[in-house]
Order: sequence, then structure tokens, then C-alpha cells
Amino acid sequence: MDLSQWIAPFEKVTGDYYAYAREAAERGRKVAGYMCSYAPQELLYAAGYLPVRILGRIGETNRADELLQAFSCSFARSVLDSALEGEWPFLSLVMFSHTCDTMQNVADLWRAHTPGTEVMIVSVPSRTDSEAAVRYYTAELERIRKALEKQCGPIPDEKINEALSLYREHREAMRELYGLHAANPGRLTGAQMMHVNLAAFLMDRAEHLEGVRNLIAAFNAAGAQEPDGRPRVFVAGSMCRHTAFIEFMEAAGCRVVGDDLCVGSRSYAFADADGDTPLEAIARAYLARTPCPAFHHSTRQPGDALVEAVRRDKAQGVIFLLTSFCDPAAFDHVPMTQALEKAGIPALTLSVEQHREPPEQLRTRVAAFVEMLQGSATP
Amino acid sequence: MSGDRLYAGVDVGSATAKAVWINSAGETLGSSVIPSGGNLADAATRCLRLAAERAGCAPDAAACIVATGYGRERVPERSRAVTEITCHARGARALFSEARCVIDIGGQDSKAIALDDQGRVLRFEMNDKCAAGTGRFLEVMAHLLEIDLDDLSRRALAGTSPVAISSTCTVFAESEVISHLAQNQPVDDIVAGLCRSIASRVYGLVSRARLTPPAIMTGGVARNQGVVKAMEALLGSPIHVPESPQTVGAYGAALIARDDNASS
Repeated sequence: MDLSQWIAPFEKVTGDYYAYAREAAERGRKVAGYMCSYAPQELLYAAGYLPVRILGRIGETNRADELLQAFSCSFARSVLDSALEGEWPFLSLVMFSHTCDTMQNVADLWRAHTPGTEVMIVSVPSRTDSEAAVRYYTAELERIRKALEKQCGPIPDEKINEALSLYREHREAMRELYGLHAANPGRLTGAQMMHVNLAAFLMDRAEHLEGVRNLIAAFNAAGAQEPDGRPRVFVAGSMCRHTAFIEFMEAAGCRVVGDDLCVGSRSYAFADADGDTPLEAIARAYLARTPCPAFHHSTRQPGDALVEAVRRDKAQGVIFLLTSFCDPAAFDHVPMTQALEKAGIPALTLSVEQHREPPEQLRTRVAAFVEMLQGSATP
Repeated sequence: MSGDRLYAGVDVGSATAKAVWINSAGETLGSSVIPSGGNLADAATRCLRLAAERAGCAPDAAACIVATGYGRERVPERSRAVTEITCHARGARALFSEARCVIDIGGQDSKAIALDDQGRVLRFEMNDKCAAGTGRFLEVMAHLLEIDLDDLSRRALAGTSPVAISSTCTVFAESEVISHLAQNQPVDDIVAGLCRSIASRVYGLVSRARLTPPAIMTGGVARNQGVVKAMEALLGSPIHVPESPQTVGAYGAALIARDDNASS
């Protein structure tokens, strides 16, 4: 059974990156852009905004290169370029998180070069596993709430609790979809999964959740998919704005069965938490996540969660999409590859520019990696 | 021999296309190396035909043809395409059964491939999109020094005290060579320095892929004794260089064609 028709609504949204948000703005809804998954989307949603994740534009960057050094990552360059090219005229505000110095400076450049858009910066504690971090982040969310209330009026606790429930249900649905995908690779392509993921950052969560539930129902109705013997590959990294990266991996003969991308499963791999206030609940839930490379946990090592996820998805190998010049990701990459090697899981690292077509030489590397996995499967 | 099945491998690289015809025993019957030029499909076809002619067989006699190299998807005659990593590993191991690693330096890219005890690929590293540490680097320098590419090898061995070439970038290294010429350094020493520079660049890949000897070197640059000697010094172990290092990928592709045919 072909599930394309259930993917079509998502592909329609990702096909024109700005259309959904622009149309929402035209209907009178306020739109808030955010950069990072540690920005409190539930709070923005409760305040009535459509939260839209800004992932930059596909293609060359031009104007950003006038302001950023060549050693800034392609994500930062592309995000800034989209602002300078005036692609977000309908945003009421833009929310940055303090993930790295480069993005902090992009926030300042955004403020300086696009007058009229409110730029907010959320300061997420870099060490996530302490009560002090919870207190700090909760206070920071209180500050953000007050700043938002100046724009849109009071945000009642019930509204925040409703948003928390919606986002929790959405995460659960996405985890279920990921589980079905890993158990039945080929029913959906990895690129189709990426379209579902990318659409989640553009659409109203309630509408996206409905689409995901329809897809899950169709998936269940379709029954089990016979395995086709292609090597099962797990994609690690942070960003993947361009589905061409997943397409070219699968064109080389593998199945992308799972990921730990920030624009993928990492955004759904955490549970709700209790708190004395709804904001404390957000703080506790976000800080209990497996930290992304920009944040730290004192006992959990980068790589532990990765090995666990790779085993859960029964992947035979891991392909890293490492964004060139992303220092936090490069630091974590070392213990991650060591953990994989210790677990006997082969890995391939691709240093990529996020917003360009994958170059031919990367195709050769991926194809050789797939051949290598095939060789190891049939000695 | 009549009735024996024939197989061919064709390796369409950035600089040259290579073809090898083999029999079912894996013996090379004929091979060819021609420039790749602008039309990769045409180069592949001409190369396969020339090798067939040298093998004394009809151009359509192959039971199976496997294509590899950067133009592998452009080869009209291919039964399937396999990457050069896998083909070099296959060919190298067949020519040197003790090999636990392959160092391949081609026209536009270089590779370091680690093999397990069965000859399967364990790990590999490829150079980035840059001509440093490739045959292209040598071509540029040979042109600059007005030395025939084949003569570079002899000149490198004649160099007694290799000059230091510190730039990894081909363009910067070119300016460096010009400075050495201006300082009246012997050309042989400059050539020896260039070979050492390529070897140390590729040695970065070798370390990253954690290669361990015994090593075999393939690709056109392996014909240059200067580079081989410099690499041996870095590796601290002798390197096996097959008789025709340029055609190892095509030979591996032909062997894979034979395996495919046997298992189908």
C-alpha cells in the first residue's frame, strides 16, 4: 500500500517554505520565528503565535557573507541570509537561544539589519542537570512570558497547560511514527519522513498532529512491510534542511531507518515533566532531554544515547551529517564515534554545507559505505 | 580457452579511463588506459574496446561488465556500478593477498582503505575536494618544471636533499616551487620535495583511517617511485606496488563482474 497521499499534505507545506506561515499571518495570526529546539514553543503557542522554525534557505548565501566570516557554519549564514533577503516580512518576533557564539551574533545582526522585528534571546543554561539550571531556566521563561505578554496580552496558565498537552501528544505520535518507520523501512522513504519532520516546524501543531495520526492509521492499515535486505542506516547530526541529503543516501542503496537529528527524532525524544508552575514544567522537560551538542550533562556522555538509539532501530551503520564549522557538534563527534566503535557499529562522517546539493564525492563515499555494510552482512 | 567466460571492468577516473578483461580464472587478458576527456561514456566504450582488442576478443564478448570510478554511472555497457573503494580493495587483495590496507592516489582523489583479514573493507578515508595529495598536484608541478610525468619518478630518486614544501594547497605550492627555482635549488631536490609533500598529505588520510601494513599502493601516482619511497618512510614499512597500479580498480571491477556472474 502506497502512503504517498498521506505524505502529500506535509510535502505541500515543505514545498514552499514560507507559504504556510505567510497565509496564517494574512489571516491575522501572529507568527513567531525560532531557531533552536530549546526555544519554548509551548509558550509561544499558548500566547497565540504560530511558532515557525527558521532553518535558512536552500542555495547559495550572498548577503550574509558580507557580515559573517567564512568560518561561520552554513546554518548561521543561511539563516541570516534569509532575513537579509527579506524572506520573513510577516514575523512578529524572532526567538534565538544561546546555543553558540555564532548564533548569538546572528541574533544581533538580525536585530541590526531587520528593523521592526522584535528579537528575543533565551538563555538556556549550558549545564542542564542541576536544580540551579531548572531555577535559572524557569526564571528565564518567566522573563520571556512577560515580554510576550507586552505584545499579546496576558497568557493564562490554562493556555500553557493546553499547549503542553498538545505538544506532548504530538511528541508521542511522532515517536510512534518513528517506531513504525523503523519496523517497516521502505513503506516510507527516509526523505518522506524528513518532509513530515520539517513540516512539523512550519505547521500549527494541532494540524500537524492530525496529519500524523492519519498517517499512522494508514501505516497500521497497510500491515507489515517485507524487508528488502538493504542495509539499515541511522543518520546522526543536528540539521538537515535539505531532504536531498537523505535522498542521496537512499539512492546509494540503503534504508534510512532512524535519526537523532535536531530537526528529527531528537525533538520528540523526551517526556513531559511535572513542575509547580507550567513554566517550571517546560523547564524540567527541556532540561531532562539528552542534551544537544550546545549543552552538557555531567554524567551522560555524548554517544551513549546514540548507541542506544542505533541499537533500538537495528541500524547496521551510522552516517554523520556534520555541519562544517559547527564547533559544538565537532566536539561531541569525537566521543560519539568512539562510542560507536566500541559498540562495533561502523560510521561514516560527511562534512557538509547544509544548504547545498550534496557534491558527487559524497555520493561515492556513501555508496562505498553501503557496499561496506553489505559486505559485512554477507561475509 | 574456447567457451571460457570473459569479464571486464572499466574504471572511469577524472584523468584516465582504465579497462581490464579477464578470464574465469581471473587472469588479465588485455588492458588499456586512455585519457577520460570530456565525454565519459565515450571514453569508457573506447577504453573497453581497446582492451578487448588487446585481449584478442570481441568487444561484446563479456558475460558481465562492472563499472567503477567517478564516471561509473555514465558507462553504457555496465551491468552495474560499484564504487572505486570496493573495486580497489578487491583488485588489490587479489594481487597481493597479504594486504591489510590500500593507499590509492588517483588523478583527482586519494583514498586510504583498511581491510580486514578476509579482505573486506573495514574503514576508508577520502581526500576533500582539493587537488592537494593527488596526481593532479604532480601534473601541475611537472608542467611547471617542464619535466615529463614519467621522468618525475627518476628525478625524485636522484634528489639527495629534498627541499621543504610546506603548502598543502596546490596553487600555493606552485609559488613555493618558483621561489626554490629562484634560489637556484637543484630541480631533483625540488621534485623529491614535491613527492614527499604528496606522501605526507596522503599520510594524513592513512593515519585517520588507522591503516596498518602490509600495504599496497594503487593508482597512477604509485608509478612514481619518489612518492612510494616517501610513503614507505612515513609508514615505516615497505609498500607493495603492483606491475600496473593504474588498472587495479578496473581489475577489481572485472573480478566483481566474475563474482556477480557466478552468483547469479
